[in-house]
Amino acid sequence: MQKKIIRQIIFYFFLLILWEALVLLKLWPEYVFPSPLKVFATLISGLSDSSFLIAIGISLKRIFIGYGISIVLGGMMGMLMCKYKLVNDTLGGLVLGLQTLPSICWLPLALLWFGLNEKAIIFVVIMGALFSITIAFDSGIRNVPRLYIKAGKNMGARNMTLFWEVMLPAALPVIIPGLKQGWAFAWRSLMAGELLFVSMGLGYLLMMGRELNDMSQVIAVMLSIALISILVDKLVFGQIERNMRRKWGTEISI
Amino acid sequence: MIEICDLSKSFKGRNGELAVLQNINLEIKNGEFLCIVGPSGCGKTTLMNIIAGLDLATSGKVLHKGKLIEGISPERLVIFQDLGLFPWLTVQKNVEFGLKLKKLSPKERQEIALEYLDMVNLIHFKDAYIHELSGGMKQRVALARALAINPEILLMDEPFAALDAQTRDMLHMELQKIWAKTKKTIIFVTHNVREAVCLGDRVIVFSSLPAVIKSSFAVNLERPRRIEDYGLMEIVRQILAELQFEIQKVFEEEFDAKENN
Ligand SMILES: Nc1ncnc2c1ncn2[C@@H]1O[C@H](COP(=O)(O)OP(=O)(O)O)[C@@H](O)[C@H]1O
Ligand SMILES: [Mg+2]
Repeated sequence: MQKKIIRQIIFYFFLLILWEALVLLKLWPEYVFPSPLKVFATLISGLSDSSFLIAIGISLKRIFIGYGISIVLGGMMGMLMCKYKLVNDTLGGLVLGLQTLPSICWLPLALLWFGLNEKAIIFVVIMGALFSITIAFDSGIRNVPRLYIKAGKNMGARNMTLFWEVMLPAALPVIIPGLKQGWAFAWRSLMAGELLFVSMGLGYLLMMGRELNDMSQVIAVMLSIALISILVDKLVFGQIERNMRRKWGTEISI
Repeated sequence: MIEICDLSKSFKGRNGELAVLQNINLEIKNGEFLCIVGPSGCGKTTLMNIIAGLDLATSGKVLHKGKLIEGISPERLVIFQDLGLFPWLTVQKNVEFGLKLKKLSPKERQEIALEYLDMVNLIHFKDAYIHELSGGMKQRVALARALAINPEILLMDEPFAALDAQTRDMLHMELQKIWAKTKKTIIFVTHNVREAVCLGDRVIVFSSLPAVIKSSFAVNLERPRRIEDYGLMEIVRQILAELQFEIQKVFEEEFDAKENN
């Protein structure tokens, strides 16, 4: 563990030195290839005049709404697919098909339906995450060992109680990776959607950098976007996964 | 009391009907410890499932307290061969599971759970998760979880088959003690004749397919019994003799089991 962290620190340190060295060689002009210090300064000033913070806030709000709706909708669709063969035979196939569609392909449709606004972006975010979440709920619940269901029923659990107390917790080892994948898709769809018009989020800030020919802003925003993904991945999902592994032991591999 | 009247069961398979149970007639008294032995695949689990209400008889009927068994109920609690403990819950929460469904308050639940965990000597593991336990400890959690619900009948399907000999001996003692204390009706299925004679008030012998009840032995030996008690051997010998056609099969399994331990 310690060794890994030290290696990583050294790696990034060398990366920074390499970056700075390339800048010092002056192969490209400063506005195309800014120094790490300049990027850092942009990041700090962006954060201190709160333009970055506002953009981050707007993007986060969108993803929470879109991702939240995806979880609720995906959960319900997955459950219905498990419960009713008719739904599985019809909706199930459609979901599998639509999952292959890159979510950004939904944008033109969203723009025509909703116009250039918040709803269109959130719609794209929902579409980005919905199908992998649906599939995760479906296969998670479908593959709950029969034994758990029998034991639960035997102890008196029926219908909704059986679902909440037995099937859902038993399915979590499959659902959680699906939620994580859904999050990654949602985040990508959000950025893609925000890039395309005056949307005020992080994606828009990235586009602003381009329009102002401000390479240091472009890189600073890219770093922020990556950082947020990593934080959510490590803190939120990492914590959930550690928690799951503590409970289930080696029985699961998430 | 459980009454099994003219019970038959067959499964539809690729090669037509497979008759598994044939005209089973059996009465199980309250508080009785009944063991069922028979070679593997003779329909012991099938009978358990029917008594539990997990499966339907093809013909005949099963009465519990004079009423036809309709579906699954916590009154007849099964300890499955693979237990079915919930890995997402701690030991204590597993034991509380059935109590929560009975709408007991958290405090009552905790009290009862701890009482039974104490009975199976697992109180120190109440906060552990299932994967952290040994095979014998898991058996005891399953026992505590079942007992906490206070069922009238406990159905145990080869519960100790996968355990090492020492752990199994210890659980035989514990189970007899708990049975004496709780006065539950226990139906205990095994393919191990010595285990059956060690635990049961009565041992029912199944034939191989289609299973009929070949014979029934009363075991009036003093308790608690140990599996190596000399007194058991006479009845064990009689049962093995009764099994005749099945003897080779059962012997091999017991031999294998011994080898594995
Ligand atoms: N659901 C089922 N469908 C078809 N055949 C079954 C089913 N369950 C059990 N059997 C068959 O019934 C026989 C008895 O099975 P089982 O009751 O599990 O035996 P035991 O528990 O005594 O080892 C076996 O031959 C098995 O293959
Ligand atoms: Mg069996």
